[in-house]
Amino acid sequence: MSVVYSRRLKKELQEIQIEQADPTKRAAGIQLLQADDLKIWFFSIEVLGESLYKNEVFHLMVRFDPEYPFKSPAVQFVVSDKVKPPVHPHVYTNGHICASILGDDWSPTLSVMAICITIQSMLASCKKKELPEGNDDYVRTAPDNPKKTRFVYHDDTV
Amino acid sequence: MKITVKRWHAIAQWQWDTGKTDDNGDAEEDVCGICRIPFEGCCPTCKVPGDDCPLIWGECSHVFHMHCLLKWIGTAASKQQCPMDRRPWGETIAHLSVHTPRNLDRISISSDRREKGRRE
Ligand SMILES: [Zn+2]
Ligand SMILES: [Zn+2]
Ligand SMILES: [Zn+2]
Repeated sequence: MSVVYSRRLKKELQEIQIEQADPTKRAAGIQLLQADDLKIWFFSIEVLGESLYKNEVFHLMVRFDPEYPFKSPAVQFVVSDKVKPPVHPHVYTNGHICASILGDDWSPTLSVMAICITIQSMLASCKKKELPEGNDDYVRTAPDNPKKTRFVYHDDTV
Repeated sequence: MKITVKRWHAIAQWQWDTGKTDDNGDAEEDVCGICRIPFEGCCPTCKVPGDDCPLIWGECSHVFHMHCLLKWIGTAASKQQCPMDRRPWGETIAHLSVHTPRNLDRISISSDRREKGRRE
């Protein structure tokens, strides 16, 4: 059990909080909404500039595995009355995201901010707003935690 | 003025020779990419830095705390790859516990000066 590595997560949180307070360092369009503990964090994400998601704001939920950073966190878009997930070929309507960085391509040298930025650029580079193939079937049978899904990664550049 | 050195203590720092040319001890690269703790400190599972918590170099030249790297390599998800560049991890054992006290030239001597009228 790598509770000892929670120090790293605390450090990440401190760095994010410092960055957020400084507009010159802050990643534009990404904001930490809530991080009460080292288990679950919320971010808001929007794509600034010209994109298919202009003026849309999404919420990302990040749940940490006790084995973080050796295991990737579970990351998904929040689906609620107030916020909806983006319509994107890699995002299911239940908020689950198919991105290799969250699964096979995770590395312990990555960080929560690196994930947020990757997801933001995944939205920024989208050419066509459409749901993933088989969305309805997936959503009907999907586990609560997207990490339990074995995704087949599509082209991450889309 | 005559100075009598009553006592002095030397302070020597050691640091791992990570093969980086730049001597700036607090450079970003001098942090283990896995635990984010400087190489001069030990990995989160150890208490004392030094030979008991060595660094490990990959053939790709990336450096980590040995314990951090082995923990990653021990997971199925690692696919035995370097976490930085995903090349197959192979280590250069020869480097394993080399450390150079290369800051020994920075010995500082503090001396108590005896001056007129000053009592201690
Ligand atoms: Zn480390
Ligand atoms: Zn150690
Ligand atoms: Zn490497």
